This record gives sequence, C-alpha cells and structure tokens, in this order.
Amino acid sequence: MSVAQPTAVMSGRYERAFTIAVVFLVAGWHLAGAGGQLLHHRQAFASFAFQGAMWLVMALAVTAGSVLVLRGVPGWRPAWAVAVIALAASTAAAAASPASQMLAVNWAWGSAGWIGVLVLLRRRFTELAWFLAAEATAILAVLVRDGLHRTDLAGFLALLAWSTGAQVAVAAGVRALRIAAGQAAAAAQSEHAARERAATAEIVQAARHARWLALQESAVPLVAELAEGTADPGDEQVRIRCAVQAARLRRLLAEGDEVSGSLVHELHASADMAERRGVAVEIETAGPLPQVPGPARRIITDAAIAILTAARSRVRITLAAVAAGIAVSFVADTGAVVLLPAIGDGVSIDQQQDGAMLWAEARWTSP
Amino acid sequence: MDQPVTAAIVEDHPVVTEGVASWIRSDPGQRIRLVHTARDLAGLRAAPGPPPGVVILDLELSGELVTRQIPGLVSDGYRVVAFSGHSEPAIVMETLDSGAHAYVSKEEGRDHLVEAVLAAAADRPYVTRSQAKAMLADQRPARPALSQQEQQALLLWFQGMSKASVGRRMSISENTVRQYINRARAKYAATGRTAPSKDALLARAIEDGVIKAGEIMSYKSFARTADPPLGAPGR
Repeated sequence: MSVAQPTAVMSGRYERAFTIAVVFLVAGWHLAGAGGQLLHHRQAFASFAFQGAMWLVMALAVTAGSVLVLRGVPGWRPAWAVAVIALAASTAAAAASPASQMLAVNWAWGSAGWIGVLVLLRRRFTELAWFLAAEATAILAVLVRDGLHRTDLAGFLALLAWSTGAQVAVAAGVRALRIAAGQAAAAAQSEHAARERAATAEIVQAARHARWLALQESAVPLVAELAEGTADPGDEQVRIRCAVQAARLRRLLAEGDEVSGSLVHELHASADMAERRGVAVEIETAGPLPQVPGPARRIITDAAIAILTAARSRVRITLAAVAAGIAVSFVADTGAVVLLPAIGDGVSIDQQQDGAMLWAEARWTSP
Repeated sequence: MDQPVTAAIVEDHPVVTEGVASWIRSDPGQRIRLVHTARDLAGLRAAPGPPPGVVILDLELSGELVTRQIPGLVSDGYRVVAFSGHSEPAIVMETLDSGAHAYVSKEEGRDHLVEAVLAAAADRPYVTRSQAKAMLADQRPARPALSQQEQQALLLWFQGMSKASVGRRMSISENTVRQYINRARAKYAATGRTAPSKDALLARAIEDGVIKAGEIMSYKSFARTADPPLGAPGR
C-alpha cells in the first residue's frame, strides 16, 4: 500500500544508520581494543602466532558479519555460522592462554561478544542472549579446566558483568532507537498525509460547491414541480428524474473524508456527465485504496466512460482494495456487451453479461 | 410459512416508519406482521403484549447514534436488524459486533429489509451489500480469516451482482454463493464481543451446515467466554 511506504523508507534509513554505527563499533573494538591487548600481552602467550591467527579469523568474522548486516536482516544460518566461528576462535584463544593469567591476557572474549551483537542485533533478542550465555559458559569451562580459584571466579564475574552488560546495553539501545525512529517517521508521514488531505479537501469542497449549484438548477425545480402537482410521480419519466436526482444527492452527501485519490474524483466527474443524460449513478469504495498511476487510471476511466455512455438507467461503480492493487467494477443495465478499451499498464478487464445487466471489473495490480 | 414473523420499528421520523411499513405490506407472501412502532427505545420497551420477533432499529434516534444500546437490547432477548442512513464500515462493524443480526442501509432497504428481517427471525445470517463492504474494508488485526472463495463471493456481491451472476462468475451454484457469504458472516459472529444473538446465529449456522464447529474453534480464543442461551421472544 502506497500510504505506508514513506514510513517504511524513513525508518529503513534510520535502521541503516544504526547498522553502520554498530559495524564501526565492532570493527573498531576488534582492531584497537582486542588488537591492542593482544600486542600488549604478546610476551605472555606460548604461541603468539596461534593467537594472531585466531585474531585474524575473528577479523574475517567481523568482515563477513558486516557484509551480512549491511545487506539486510541476515537469515539464521549465516548469522549463526559467523557467530559460532567467532565463539570457537575466542574459546581456542582462551584455551591456549597461560592457565594462571587467562583472564588478564584474554583479548578475545569481548570481540566474540561484539561479533554476536553485530550479526544477531536485528534478530530476536533471545538469540543474542543465548549466544552471550554460550560464550560465558565456554570461558568458564576453560577456567574450570585450568583449576578454578576463587579470585578467578571473581575476575570472571567482573568481566562478565562489564562486557556482557555493555553488549546488552548497546543491543537494547538500538532497539529503543529503532522504536523511536519508527514513531518519528510515522509522525512525519502523518503530517505529510494531513497536508495532502487538506489539499484534497479543498478540491472536493470546490467540486461539491459546483455540484450544489447544479442541484439548484435540477433538483429544486423537480421538487417544486412535484409540490405543485405539475409533475406526476406515476409518470415513468418523472420517476427516472427523481432517481437520478436522488442518486446525485446521495453522492453529494457521501462524498466526504473517505473519498481520496484522483481515481475516485475522475470517476465522479464521469458520473456527472452520465447523470445529465438521466442515468442514476452510485459510487462506493471499500477499504483504503492504493494510488493508481496515470496511464492505468486513464484505461480505467475510459472503461467507465464507455459503460456510463451505454447504460440505460443505472450504474453502480465500486472501488475495492484487493491484494496488491485495486478492483474497480461496474454493474450497469447496458442491454448488451460494451466494447471496452484496450488493456495494459497493469490493468486487466473482465466482463460478464447476464441478461440486460453488464458486470465489468478493471483490476490494476501494482508491478 | 405458517405464522407471520412479528416485527417492531423504532424510528423517529414518521415518514420513514411509513415507508418501512409499506415495504412490509407489499410483501406478496405477507410474511411479516408489524406489531408495534416506537419513536425511541423507551417506547419499544413500554410496548404491551409479547415482544416482537425482530426489532427494526434506526441507528440514529433524535440525532444520536444508539449503537451502544444494542448490547442491552440483545441481552434482553430482542433480535435487532439495524436500518440506517449510515454506510460507513466502522459503524456497520460496531453494530454487528454489538449483536445486531443484520445491517441494512436506507438505500438498500427496498430490496433487502424484508428478507433481512425474515432471516433474523430464524437466526439466519443475511448479508447486505453495505455489510459486505464493511467486511471487505475490515483492517482490524482481530478480524476473522476469510477463505479466498469467501472473499471473492463477498467482493462480487458488494460490487452489485445478483447472487446468480456471482455463481456464474465463480462457476458455482447460487446456493454455494449463499453458503460462502453466510459462512463469512458466521465467522464474524464468532469474534469480538459476546452476545446471545451471535451465539444463536452460530448455532443455527452449524445446524444448517453453513459452518462446521471446528471452523469456529480457532476464533473462539479471543471471542467468547460464556454461552448464555438466547431468551428467545416470539419463538
């Protein structure tokens, strides 16, 4: 539906900005934070080459994760593949660290957590929670293997609170910002819609005034004739005149806020012409209607004019929202099949003749 | 039809009351007997004698919408057919949700009011074009899920085709068209506010084979909690 699009586009733009910010945060942390710590403690490791290799694996995971999230919301398979690789590399790096100072020299825990945040951010919150829990468990398992001391446990808990806390805070913050951005976009959209409505209302007002003036010339004399007794309600012609004026009055009254969009106005204009010929026209709309582009609109109004011209006494025009488009239908007592204009521009036309009644439906589907 | 259905009109404009009465009189089968007319709801409740089988209720009495009074009427055992100058989907939906059996806009009164009253008296659904429009326009998240066939039948009926023409268009019998449209209506009776009239419509729809009990269960979760029997007047 075209009405919803600007909101989606705007909040989409915000979301992309957040994603880019998170990509910078994670890449920055892995380069400067984890990389810096790795270099600082390089003497402590039994094999610096192995630690460097793990750092590179995680750098690749950051790159792959960034590409994934910049393309959109990643599916669970690629997201979890990256997350599991980061988790494995971080655990391997921790397991290969000197037993007594593992927590002090660990550079990988934070990075793995941030990679999880990066790829799981747009997925369900529980997935991130599971990931962070798995990571903490892996580190704890390494500590237990090395012989867990009370001081280790205290250090572990402090690190857990610090790193996981920051990661959860960022994830929650992005979520909150996303909701706020959605609201801001919706507000901007409703302001735009309000301005559009005001402009439409002015046009409708002018058209309504013109029709009211026309009524003064057509309905008022008819009522006067009926009152004076010069027009006989038993006369078929008088009844037709009454039906036409009644349909016109009803349209005038019904034409309100629910009528928006130029297709409806164009159909109203075509109906006015038919009414002058003595055809009673009713126009009904169901549901919020999509905007129909110009060329498609012309095909539909051409069909409307053909049917309104062929109708003998009455036409019912309806507009209904259907899947990805609009169905404009006509039921009219044309007496015979009407030659309808060519189709194209996303418009298809169906018709069926039942005795004197024609049913035709022009369906526009958005490409 | 052995006994004519009894009906009352609640309408503040005498000329409209007269018009409705003339439609009822001109029914060839004389299937409805008008037993009472009132200008407001107090007048209806004060009426002597047994309650009417169906109340034809103008939704706007003395310039005020009376949709909020419908649940009270319905729980007192009245069957309500709303008859209104309004055709906005929101008003139609609220009226049906409140427990009215059917909604007839004043423009479609001549063609549909008598049939709607007769259907209501038997607790059978009757879907006017304005009702079909409201169902098609329904955007509420809690709306019932209609099948594609039900949607298509509702759309063609709203567009103004006769049921026979709808059947030809969809390559099904007129009876099946009626079945689809009535099933859509029955699904609506299973949602929203609880009302004895909605339960009665559903029970009859199951009895008539319009809808299976299993098809209703999925809508019941947010719809209904109690199952009070309809205190049926004129039955």
